Amino acid sequence: MFRNHLKTAWRNLINKKFYSAINIIGLTIGLAVGILILLWVQDELSFDRFNSKVSQIYKVNASIGSGVSKQVWGGVPAPVAVYALKEVPGIVNAVRVITSYDYSVFKYNDKILKEDYGKLSYVDDSFFKVFDYKLLKGNINIPFPNDQSVIITESTAKRYFGDANPIGKTITGDSKDPFVVSGVLADFPANSSISGNMLFSINQKKKQYNGKGYWKAMDEDWGNYYTSTFLQVRNDASTRAIGDKLTKIHFEHQKGIKPTDGIFQLQPLKDIHLYNPDGSSAGVQIVKVFSIVAILILLIACINYINLSTARAMLRSKEVSVRKIIGAERKHLFMQFIIETLLCFAVALLLAFGLIYAVMPFYNGIAGKQMQFNLFDVKVWQVIALTVITTLIASSIYPALLLSSFKPINALKGKISGTGNATFRKVLVVCQFAFSIGLIVGTIIINRQLNYIQQKQLGYDRSYVFSLQLHGMQDHYEAIKADLLNHPEITGVTTGDGNIVSSGSTTSDTDWDGKDPNMSFLIHPYGVDKDFINMFKIKFTSGNNFTGSKSDTAHWILNETAVRLAGIKNPVGKRFKFHDTNGIIIGVVKDFHFASLKQAIEPAIFNFRPTTWQMFIKTTGKDSPMAIKTVEKLWKQYNATYPFEYKFLDDDYNELYHSEQNTASLFDVFAGIAIFISCLGLFGLATYTAQVKIKEIGIRKVLGASVANITAMLSKDFLVLVFIAILIASPIAWYAMNKWLQNYVYRTELSWWTLAIAGLAAVLIAFITISFQAIKAAIANPVKSLKNE
Amino acid sequence: MAGMMQEAPMIKITNLEKFYRTEEVETIALNKLSIEIATGEFVAIMGPSGCGKSTLLNILGMLDDPDAGSYVFNDIEVAHFTERKRADLRKHNIGFVFQSFNLIDELTVFENVELPLIYTGVASAERVKRVEEVLDKMQIMHRRNHYPQQLSGGQQQRVAIARAVVNKPKLILADEPTGNLDSSNGNDVMELLTDLNEQGTTIIMVTHSEHDARYSHRIIRLLDGQSVMENIMV
Repeated sequence: MFRNHLKTAWRNLINKKFYSAINIIGLTIGLAVGILILLWVQDELSFDRFNSKVSQIYKVNASIGSGVSKQVWGGVPAPVAVYALKEVPGIVNAVRVITSYDYSVFKYNDKILKEDYGKLSYVDDSFFKVFDYKLLKGNINIPFPNDQSVIITESTAKRYFGDANPIGKTITGDSKDPFVVSGVLADFPANSSISGNMLFSINQKKKQYNGKGYWKAMDEDWGNYYTSTFLQVRNDASTRAIGDKLTKIHFEHQKGIKPTDGIFQLQPLKDIHLYNPDGSSAGVQIVKVFSIVAILILLIACINYINLSTARAMLRSKEVSVRKIIGAERKHLFMQFIIETLLCFAVALLLAFGLIYAVMPFYNGIAGKQMQFNLFDVKVWQVIALTVITTLIASSIYPALLLSSFKPINALKGKISGTGNATFRKVLVVCQFAFSIGLIVGTIIINRQLNYIQQKQLGYDRSYVFSLQLHGMQDHYEAIKADLLNHPEITGVTTGDGNIVSSGSTTSDTDWDGKDPNMSFLIHPYGVDKDFINMFKIKFTSGNNFTGSKSDTAHWILNETAVRLAGIKNPVGKRFKFHDTNGIIIGVVKDFHFASLKQAIEPAIFNFRPTTWQMFIKTTGKDSPMAIKTVEKLWKQYNATYPFEYKFLDDDYNELYHSEQNTASLFDVFAGIAIFISCLGLFGLATYTAQVKIKEIGIRKVLGASVANITAMLSKDFLVLVFIAILIASPIAWYAMNKWLQNYVYRTELSWWTLAIAGLAAVLIAFITISFQAIKAAIANPVKSLKNE
Repeated sequence: MAGMMQEAPMIKITNLEKFYRTEEVETIALNKLSIEIATGEFVAIMGPSGCGKSTLLNILGMLDDPDAGSYVFNDIEVAHFTERKRADLRKHNIGFVFQSFNLIDELTVFENVELPLIYTGVASAERVKRVEEVLDKMQIMHRRNHYPQQLSGGQQQRVAIARAVVNKPKLILADEPTGNLDSSNGNDVMELLTDLNEQGTTIIMVTHSEHDARYSHRIIRLLDGQSVMENIMV
């Protein structure tokens, strides 16, 4: 029986090439895209879960300020971990991870290699006990035998030492500090929130506190929120109690702080990839959106299959009734059609595997991931099974039930008019197009928002500015600056310790007259020279710029938000304490965006630093290659051991929206595919309709209908469906995209024409699809079609 | 013939009625029709278009159910059987031959003939034996691996007859079996049916052709859903 079913199914597939092709292409693409998206979703949801103690590990976040100035920061003061272990019940272990910006190149023998920003970290010795990162070589109990020890990843070891054993070898950071490799760790998994190339002992960081600054030691520095602190807690411990206890400890140790100066909260490790410290969840939203897109695309592919098979049921009714007459029971026929669907799916699935393998590198490129499609991976099969079984059920049962339910006598007489299931098909076509239109609207709006971000007036001018680290040039900054400014291709030179595109640091260490004792706020500090504000064209609303004189060390320039949130009236000339320096506010600048447009502008303060670790150089569009050459020449005089590296701020800016751009690219592709599959189905249905109506078309032509009349007649029914789809999809898409835009504090307007364009596009695409078949039917010779009858 | 009639008839229909309704019109297809057919008979049903011939054949073949009246098949009242029961009775007792052959295009000659055996659950080896037997008898063994489209009309109808008899049914219902054939092929088909009848199979055939009807034992003539005349052939 099974063999017979399979045989018939296979011959049907081969004999009806056109419909089989449409079904299989649609299913192949649908399955491939569905599986690809679900792989992405699975990857997003898998972050950090490879840690066996994941359910016990929490990251400590700090909630600072209240009301409008409330911020939740992912870094906390360094002593939090120390006191958690010492004084808080329920803590099993604690580990701090502090990103190091202290070195940029390392030297081994003659080899000098650059280490990218953010790839170096200081960690506690407990790192390998709390997390499951694998130490391939080295001692897990004493990972850093001394303060000059370094643990490197496997691939880093390969870069420096090739196949030689790295243990005991010395690398020199920025040609001053030697480190001895004490361990090699397996590369961080791609789905790890913590990553990097080298791990240093946290004691190195401690040494930077030389006892002379405001904070005497790292483990007593309650004022700077820069350590990522992870706690391993007992299963029965209350995370809220731990947070409260830590907050209390903070109160006891830092004098004069207010309740709003730092409330510690614990965030589960498994959540840190998808949720921001404040609990908002851009990541989860994207995961949800993509899951929905995957389901929609699979549904569209299923609908194609259902529509084509039920439409063609009429053509197959004779076969069904003959089978029934000669003894087939309903279950036989049901199985036959299920097997046909299975076969179609099997072919489509095989092709989908091929397609997935083929596009995986490209897909990883736009998704910004390193996912692998490995058919020996159980997880991959989970995704495949989930996708295939649900789509199979969705697309096999109804056609099988319908086809097997024909009354043989009616079917033989050709009485299966199919008006009942024609309505059903129409509903499905409406659904398909509603999904597609929704995706078109989504694509337009996401792209518009990205454009908006690109073109938004940020309150400063970053065009043609590149930055570089000064290293050996730092001590000669003034001379170098004067030299560079003599070159016509260089229009500005300045220095600053932060990146104007995205500020990485923040401090609560401020005071001013009239400050509400219960109020505190975080402020982003920028240490800059006197030309910084002018070169970036940041506008003053009152007061003046730094002059470069000695007295500037006690002068501050605030942004409008800082002034507003601090509640300082007529700020220029008022007292303001920043860290341990009491000074006065000499100017206020207009607000500018120094973070992603997802965030509202926060307080910022400029303090005067005649020289810092990095330099910004402004040039012009056509002169930039020459400017780079000029700088490089100077660089080589001072920094012979360092490779010359620079970065345009435009690139920094684009990096801020990297994930948005990835999302948008993926969305573009998915929307395109959804529309393509929908059209494939529509094309099939149009072909079928033209076939069924061949006699009517013939009669109409004999009676004088023109090609245009016939085309209109055949297209009309479908276009009505597309219009209904527009009516249904528009409000839903509008609502959904409005919600998405709420993520952005600064966002583009939703306008009616977005919907109009999406609708028009759908109508146009549908019309082109249908008219191809309609025109073909309309220009056919009527004599032929009438004779056929 | 008279002797046969004294046994319980294979088919006995009494006051059979069938209506076709559209929204506005009700057509009477069968009007209190009563007929008996004995085991082993060869009966032709004739009459003008629309007289109810095909309706009667469909009801006799249990493809359709009557609106009123009784239909006793081999001593079983089947008029109000469910579709499932009818199908079960049908597949073990009745073979069909159609004017347009109704072979399945995707299956070869052999597979078409084998299909009823598959549906009645006959084992594979037994199927091969029986299909070959019947193909041999129909003289189309040499075409066993061809598809219906590759055969002439006459050959297709042989395959259809082979398919109808492969399950050894007690009754064959033929709906204008020569309607799509030329006279030579038509005669061949009629000879085949006669042979089958002589081997004991009851045959009921709807036809427009007086020539074909002459192969039968008895002609029942229908008009407006009623039997108006019976000719016993000698």
